[in-house]
Amino acid sequence: MNAIILSAIWGVAMMFSGIFLTKGEAIRAAAILGLVVLLGVNIAELYGYRLFNIDTRGMLSFNSFSLVFNAVLFGCTLIYFLLSSKDILKVGTNKAEYFSLIFFVLSGVSIASSFNTLLMLFLGIEIISIPLYILTGSDRKNLKSNEAALKYFLMGSFSTGIMVMGIALIYGARGSFDIAGMNTAMQQGLNPLLLSGLLLLLISMAFKVSAAPFHFWTPDVYDGAPTVFTSFMATIVKAGVFVAFLRLFDGAYGSMSDKWKLVVVIIIAATLLIGNITAVFQQSVKRMLAYSSIAQAGFMFFALFSYNDLSKEGLLLYSAAYCLATTGIFAILIKMKDYTFDGFNGMGKSNPLLAATNTIFLLSLAGIPLTAGFTAKFYMLSSAIKTGTYGWLVILAVLCAAVSVYYYFRVIQSMYFKEGDSQRIEVSSSFRLGLVVISAIIILLGIFPQILFYKLYF
Amino acid sequence: MGNIIQLAWLVPLFPLIGFLINGLGRRSLSKGAISFIGSGAILASFIVSIMIVLQVKSPGFTASQGVLKMFDFISVDKLIIPFAFQIDQLSSLFLLIITGVGFLIHVYSTSYMHDEESEHFGRYFAYLNLFVFSMLLLVMGGNFVIMFIGWEGVGLCSYLLIGFWFKNSDYNDAAKKAFVMNRIGDFGFLLAVFWIIAKVGSVDFSTVFAAAQSLSKTDITIITLLLFVGAAGKSAQIPLYTWLPDAMAGPTPVSALIHAATMVTAGIYMIARSNILYSLAPITQTVVAVTGLVTAVFAATIALQQNDIKKVLAYSTVSQLGYMFLGLGVGAYTGAVFHVMTHAFFKALLFLGAGSVIHAMHSEQDIRNMGGLKKQMPVTHITFLLGCLAIAGVPPFSGFFSKDEILAGAFSVNPVYYYIGVAGALMTAFYMFRLYAMTFTGTFRGTHEQEHHLHESPVAITFPLIVLAVLAAIAGFAGLPEVFVENGHALEHFLAPIFAESAKLKHANHLDHTTEITLMVSVTVLILITIIYAWIRFSRYRKTEADTKGLARVLENKWYVDEIYNAAIVRPLNAFSGLLNRVVEKVLIDGLVNGVGKSIQYGSRQLRLLQSGQVGSYILLMVLSILAFFALVFFTKK
Repeated sequence: MNAIILSAIWGVAMMFSGIFLTKGEAIRAAAILGLVVLLGVNIAELYGYRLFNIDTRGMLSFNSFSLVFNAVLFGCTLIYFLLSSKDILKVGTNKAEYFSLIFFVLSGVSIASSFNTLLMLFLGIEIISIPLYILTGSDRKNLKSNEAALKYFLMGSFSTGIMVMGIALIYGARGSFDIAGMNTAMQQGLNPLLLSGLLLLLISMAFKVSAAPFHFWTPDVYDGAPTVFTSFMATIVKAGVFVAFLRLFDGAYGSMSDKWKLVVVIIIAATLLIGNITAVFQQSVKRMLAYSSIAQAGFMFFALFSYNDLSKEGLLLYSAAYCLATTGIFAILIKMKDYTFDGFNGMGKSNPLLAATNTIFLLSLAGIPLTAGFTAKFYMLSSAIKTGTYGWLVILAVLCAAVSVYYYFRVIQSMYFKEGDSQRIEVSSSFRLGLVVISAIIILLGIFPQILFYKLYF
Repeated sequence: MGNIIQLAWLVPLFPLIGFLINGLGRRSLSKGAISFIGSGAILASFIVSIMIVLQVKSPGFTASQGVLKMFDFISVDKLIIPFAFQIDQLSSLFLLIITGVGFLIHVYSTSYMHDEESEHFGRYFAYLNLFVFSMLLLVMGGNFVIMFIGWEGVGLCSYLLIGFWFKNSDYNDAAKKAFVMNRIGDFGFLLAVFWIIAKVGSVDFSTVFAAAQSLSKTDITIITLLLFVGAAGKSAQIPLYTWLPDAMAGPTPVSALIHAATMVTAGIYMIARSNILYSLAPITQTVVAVTGLVTAVFAATIALQQNDIKKVLAYSTVSQLGYMFLGLGVGAYTGAVFHVMTHAFFKALLFLGAGSVIHAMHSEQDIRNMGGLKKQMPVTHITFLLGCLAIAGVPPFSGFFSKDEILAGAFSVNPVYYYIGVAGALMTAFYMFRLYAMTFTGTFRGTHEQEHHLHESPVAITFPLIVLAVLAAIAGFAGLPEVFVENGHALEHFLAPIFAESAKLKHANHLDHTTEITLMVSVTVLILITIIYAWIRFSRYRKTEADTKGLARVLENKWYVDEIYNAAIVRPLNAFSGLLNRVVEKVLIDGLVNGVGKSIQYGSRQLRLLQSGQVGSYILLMVLSILAFFALVFFTKK
């Protein structure tokens, strides 16, 4: 509760601060301060300190999982701010508003991680989506950015329509928006109305996390949006929607029939294949990362497939690992002029620290041991193995991870084994420190993943 | 003095710190500082070791006090492997030998290696400290896994130090050879550990040894044989001994410490530690005894015709190790450990003496070019002579007692072992005094340049020589045979708890005193005759250009074992791997891998076309997918 209200308030405050604060530095400081406060109050709630006591009539509820998840995402956003907030300021003239929109997104994420009724789910997802349409088109003079925003908006509305349709059908079948009790309703026999509603809901959520075959918007939007915002969308937003998805499954699809499982399996297999294989041929690192985000979503989708305690821990770890590494890579990418693989040529010599940390991020994404990415993949796959079904899916996932090594290592190869005229990139020492800190966290989580789960059960 | 055993972890800690400081600071520290840190670390360990031994020796000590668990190293399901140390009579004795001899050799090295550049000087001491650390880990480990960490660690250090002068590619080859040969043995060790885990479910010494009685005969035989493969690799027994003579490429103090006094005795330590397993496996015992005996004699024959001062000592080391295995094989565990101890003293002494000679002769190692050195190098000469007397087994020097105990043990099991063993001992006396006489007596045969520079070595070199000479002379009194003094074998009483279980299994088969004394006296007389013969013959040695002929030539070429290995194993293996490379690797594997890669790239190019950029087509595809899902959910049977 703390986080929802404070992030909304801070978003509004940031919006008005544009009138008083003209200097970019001041806006940046205000945003970072706000985020630190947000992270603080969220952790405080984890320890039982509630600032607000509002009766939501059971529409929202907060458990340790949603709070820990919020904390992880806020932490990632903080790191994202520390690394890239200067670049946010460079996107356009409405400096304060960009931050304001990001805070609104965070507010939506907090709702999405704690909803109890489908209404709140819809509200949360829309609060996340609408600011993103704006952020995608925030580079107003750039045609690509405009095009991406329009595409995103069109397809986003399409999926919103499907979601509303699904919710309406479910309401028609049950007369209630509550997700609690949906399990029992499902067991009482196959009501076609309810079944259609649930399927539509599943599809619209799959769209939001860019799972195949509903991923088409992702490469175009990620490629067209200003790179700083791509970074945000691809990481924190995606993880935020996933937690909503998991919560939805908690109530609605908990006792999945084999058919549901088959649907999920098809989505996972398609996502893994399309994401990984299409990424192979990309020439732009930014576009490669867009496909990589689809591929990684395939792995995160395993949490919904296996659906047990291990997979919840896995999703938490996966979100942290994926967000940190991707944020780091994007932060470096933003500083570069040339987004193609060749742009990284010779970086190992010209910018040794950037290249070294970038290597760690890429290794983590590829799932090489001693990095958080490996442990996260391990959790996901072992949770899937525990279900004892669809063994071939796990094998497919491992093979796809092997394919992913190809395109991630292409960047490493460019940095270290190709001669290039890449110029020395001037970055501040705090930026370097940020990269080193992320690398350290990635390796720490790779060795001691339990530290993330500490507050989950106690 | 409190319970010093709780602080036993300090013993390996000091060398580890020394390794880190010298290793990281090798570019910036002065040679003095490096020497001080390197030697000081070992001295500190030595002092703690002495206190530990005193504690272990005190009457209140029980085996359970000696197990020191630091933390859980590996914990998987039911298998829990703690990082534990085990301090008892056996390990504390080895601690004393390792740190004591180790310290002396560090001191010696400060002078011997002084001509190295500062950076390499630091590297040398870092490696040496790392070696001592690993060796201590090996000896102190409370289970087979910790022991194995040390086991691999000493192998690594041995490799690093043999190839210390890495610009010489022959030396690098020698280092590689040592590493590969050791790895073959280590593989056996590992298999044994896995077998133990499979059958016992634990690797703790106490648990495994307690469970030994309940293991089947086959299991225990396989485990002990595999462990023996490991021991044969590390302790240079047939057929894995060829690396040790080549290991002489390393600096001489390294040969003394690693390839004579400590590392190569790791196999003996391991078997002595697992004595109960061996006592329960009579087949393995026979294998161990025969291998040891054959190695002892075989290596001795080669040593007869070697002309490199270090090679003679190397083959003599292989031979002496063979005796130790003979002792283990016939159940004379105390005798084997006793011989480890005395051998550590006199062989370290001999190597360091040889180093002193090589130092004085400006890296000349061929004894045909030496002679008459006793005038210029009195301290080296006297100490070397003492070492020779000790290794030859002349009473009352230390080698006599330990070797006698092994041979007596062998006699009680099988007199044939004894007679062959004595033949080896006579050869030992012969080649050692050939070495001595050619080096120190007669006339100088080197160049004038060398003769001009001949000098006695500095104190840092002679001091360890003197200490070791004293030890080599008197250490035998730690284990006087029963025939001389009732209860004179202090070492046996000290080690009794370790071998108690095995002793119960052993049939009381003591020699009667008359036989024992007769054997002893007759062997001693034979040895003395051999010594005098060798001394007289080789003090008159003159250099000849003529090649050796017949058997001597075969011996000089080490029975052509390296060549045989090369033809029988290395070349077929190379040919086979060449075949695999051309056919399997290039055609099959590369084809498969590249084929997969190409097909994925092709797929990528095609899949990419789906991403047309048209919102309309995207939505169409999505709608089609939704319809497909609906069809799947509604129109398929469960």
